[in-house]
Amino acid sequence: MPLAHGGLPSILPADVMAELKETATKLCAPGKGFLAADESAGPWLRAGHAEAAKIPDVIENRAAYRSLCFSTPGLSEHISGVILHWETLFQDDGLGKAMVDIIQGNGMIAGIKVDKGYNKKGMWGTLVGPLGHPEVATVGLDDLQDRCKKAYEKGARFAKWRNVLQLDPAKGLPSDLAIADTVHTLARYASICQSEGLVPIVEPEIVPNGNHDIFYCAQMTEKVLAAQFKALADHHIYLEGAVLKPNMVKNGLAGPKAYPETIATLTCQTLLRTVPPAVPGIFFLSGETALNEDNEEEATINLSTMNKLFSGKLPWHLSFSYGKALQKTCVANSQAVFGKYQKGSCASVGTDGNVMQAAGPY
Amino acid sequence: MEVFVAARPQVVPVQAPAGPSGLAGSRPQRGNAALTGALAAVAAGVAGASARRRGTITAAAKCRGARIARKAWRAYRNCHGGEHLSPERKRQLEAICEKIATPGKGITATDEGPGTIGDRFAKVGVENTEEHRRVYRQMLYETPGVNNYLSAAILDPETLHQKDDEGVLFPRALEQRGIICGVKPHLKVYELPGALGDTVMQGLDSLAMRLREYKEAGAKFAKWRSPLQISRYSPTKAAIEANMRDLARFALICQEEGLVPMVEPDIIMKGDHDLETAVAVNVEVQTNLYKAMLEHGVYMEGALLKTNLVNPGLSCDTEYMVEEIAVANLMTLRRVTPVAIKGVNFLSGGQSLEQAAARLNALNKVKQVKGSCPWNLSFSWSWALQAPLLRLCEGKGGKLPLKEMSELYLKELAIASAAAQGKYEERESSLR
Repeated sequence: MPLAHGGLPSILPADVMAELKETATKLCAPGKGFLAADESAGPWLRAGHAEAAKIPDVIENRAAYRSLCFSTPGLSEHISGVILHWETLFQDDGLGKAMVDIIQGNGMIAGIKVDKGYNKKGMWGTLVGPLGHPEVATVGLDDLQDRCKKAYEKGARFAKWRNVLQLDPAKGLPSDLAIADTVHTLARYASICQSEGLVPIVEPEIVPNGNHDIFYCAQMTEKVLAAQFKALADHHIYLEGAVLKPNMVKNGLAGPKAYPETIATLTCQTLLRTVPPAVPGIFFLSGETALNEDNEEEATINLSTMNKLFSGKLPWHLSFSYGKALQKTCVANSQAVFGKYQKGSCASVGTDGNVMQAAGPY
Repeated sequence: MEVFVAARPQVVPVQAPAGPSGLAGSRPQRGNAALTGALAAVAAGVAGASARRRGTITAAAKCRGARIARKAWRAYRNCHGGEHLSPERKRQLEAICEKIATPGKGITATDEGPGTIGDRFAKVGVENTEEHRRVYRQMLYETPGVNNYLSAAILDPETLHQKDDEGVLFPRALEQRGIICGVKPHLKVYELPGALGDTVMQGLDSLAMRLREYKEAGAKFAKWRSPLQISRYSPTKAAIEANMRDLARFALICQEEGLVPMVEPDIIMKGDHDLETAVAVNVEVQTNLYKAMLEHGVYMEGALLKTNLVNPGLSCDTEYMVEEIAVANLMTLRRVTPVAIKGVNFLSGGQSLEQAAARLNALNKVKQVKGSCPWNLSFSWSWALQAPLLRLCEGKGGKLPLKEMSELYLKELAIASAAAQGKYEERESSLR
């Protein structure tokens, strides 16, 4: 009598596990990544255009902008999943068509952001980091079970939750407390999501703000990811039905700048040490970049270098989950997933319009 | 890849500044010059601000600066991935790992101490003399053709200093045949008081010194076995954590002394637990192991794993197909094992050669179909290989029939090598 799921203790019903695995496999289709469209405010504001900033940030405009993006023909060749804000999941476009239907009709999977951000007051006893506030804890677990159920009923099939960690060598950030809280929260969220049939994107983001070098980031990313996967195992997370969304290992925004090859090598080294092959895909976030850098270009080059240098050696699908970086083009990033991106080939607005976003819960 | 990694600022031992806080300067600390500077600045800044406010450097300001600096050092030195090892040392360790993890080759585990091998000899009527142990092991290492199937051998410390018939020390003889010599340092099992049957292994205390001796004698890797047992009461969390931490520290010490650590968490087959329970316990044990190794700063690319196959207990009532067991093993490996580790060698743990080979074979077959499995999956067998050889001694009047043993041994190794590649043709049925 064959065992279900290769002997894995059946925490979840077999059909739920099968669905999670199927969703995760579709999300990790070759050459594809995520469109992170879960900003609270109008997404056009992130591109930093002076003209765009004049458009009022009201619900109708957000619906119009997003329905425009999601119905772009051919988008599903490069995007497997779209991460939505709670507002968008239950929205219709100007013509009364549900956002979820637009996304699914265009060949993509709808996902939902389920965290409720964090209070910048932070956790008592932790030190203030480069973001200007102490270490924080993301909230939203209390009614998560219910919200996941509703999201699934509406048509979402994956979820996203972002925890934030800061780096500061002089103060020992991230502290053990922040790491423990982060990995526990993310594991709880993942557990609840899977019980409701949603594939969880696990995102322990280490923000790049600060003046540390890339080696400090590598060490701390390794520490965080090691703790994260231990927590996921303790919480019985079905790894084949979950994906990881980590930061790339990079220098601090105000630290000594590292070459793309160094970024690629250290990032992959860290992942090879900590991420088990059962995880089907790793989707990098683009995160903040320095004012004089083109966010999308940098992120794309880094991803492309990784896929080129380590082709064949990485057991997971390595891709992107960009919000900021995809305001311009997403075709360029699809090329990056295949390791073929030519620097400068994507039509980019350049750095003039960059706005240093107040990094915070968005 | 070396060329792409920009040089890290040289790590030099620096005296921490004897700043306003007496604590920071109380002992010399290794550190990054820039970091030390940053910390000194923090400590000075805190003290300075306070001084400006009050006109004196108060005790509170000194302590606060020191507290912050201590937090920083603790965070910085944790999980450093072998940063203290030189690039040459890392390359050496990796090279040994790569050779041991050669596809199609495995390990002959011959590390029984004189007492244990003595028991095995006694059962078949052979006298336990040093000469008998020497010629027996010589056969295991020097039978012509074994080096086609063996990448490494694990020796007892006694054997490290023994010579073959030509007068060549065994480590050298193995090296000449392209077989990497490893050692099992002396360990003593110790029952954890209050834990119903959980044990820990003692042996860390003088380990560094002994490893140095083994290295001089020609050993290139060392193995430490931490047995655990599944029962109603065990393994407890405390026992798992204690054993895995010991393995991590063992690995750290090995790498410092220039030996590749082969960590062996062995969940023995005794018990009536089913396959699902076995999977759950194996996942718990191995996730603890890797977290401990990473936190201790073990260089993962320069370490190897030897472990049990995930198996139902010996007295478990349920019958499992070999393929089911193979899939359970593959799933477990894929869920917990870091890709950075190059190879996994499975122990036989009391299974017969046929059983062990059938399961290893099924695992390697399933590996080819079921999705990414980047490690070399091979054997490190003692009992599976040696039990049939020792049975040949029965009724031979206390003599070792070395020629007969050699022939059988070579056949066994061919089976083992085939199993390690998923190419073993089983003649028996696949039920266990």
